[in-house]
Amino acid sequence: MAPLVALGIVAALVAGATVLGLVWRASQGRIRRVRSHAVAIEGVELGTTVTLLQFSSEYCAPCRSTARVLEEFADAPRVAHVELDVAERPELAARFGILQTPTTLVLDDTGRIRARIGGAVRRDLLSAELAKLTVAA
Amino acid sequence: MSRPAQIDPRGARFTAAITALLLLLDVALGLVGGVAPTLAERAVQPAFLLLVVLAAIFVWSATAGVARNPWSIVFRSLIRPRLQPPTELEDAAPPTFAQGVGAFVTLIGVVLHLAGVPYALVIAASAAFIAAFLNAAFGYCLGCQIYLLLVRAGLIRRTAAA
Repeated sequence: MAPLVALGIVAALVAGATVLGLVWRASQGRIRRVRSHAVAIEGVELGTTVTLLQFSSEYCAPCRSTARVLEEFADAPRVAHVELDVAERPELAARFGILQTPTTLVLDDTGRIRARIGGAVRRDLLSAELAKLTVAA
Repeated sequence: MSRPAQIDPRGARFTAAITALLLLLDVALGLVGGVAPTLAERAVQPAFLLLVVLAAIFVWSATAGVARNPWSIVFRSLIRPRLQPPTELEDAAPPTFAQGVGAFVTLIGVVLHLAGVPYALVIAASAAFIAAFLNAAFGYCLGCQIYLLLVRAGLIRRTAAA
């Protein structure tokens, strides 16, 4: 292959990876509202207003930072933070369609899933979301 | 289970950046060199030799820990002394897992190239490049998705007692 063509392909590879990275970064921490029926999860005790259900895995650095952020919001018995390891509860990972760790589900007082956050949780976004949830409740 | 060592996250990003650069160079070499007609010739092509070295480093870091990766050592001995101390340390397990994925992908490229499969080396090096680049530039975490896929495919299972 001519060096100039190879250079063009290499440049396209870098550009493509950059676009992929920007799309991925924009998706991280975004809060997606969802509606669900009340879900009962064995071994998970709900908070009286909100439960932050975090799915984590072993080889996941942002899981640790997310756990720290969610712990700041935890305020027993009102707001519960529950962290589950997907390797220990693979059936839950399948049931909730978890495709990345961390994934955080925000459950209300009745156990309905109200929001879903893929990737590292952003303190400011979650704070605003929880304010809305508790006002509406 | 015992927790592995803590590392400076900037060192992991530096390691990923150097790895990405070398993989990109390998893609370029692979594109220019193509696939030589005989096994003996394929085994001495520059793109092949570089990928063998990179695969060996991946295997080494995945087994000995990412802290023993040569670029990590360069970071610690030459760059980190000139920087502020890290604001926080990170678990070495996630980047070490990513090194294992890198080893898997590059070794496939090595074997298929030797077998004479066209573009196998370029595709394997490109895939590894994308992962290393996303990690270096955006903090993307391979272990956050690949490991989960292995769990969901039923290949990994751990009991709560572990």
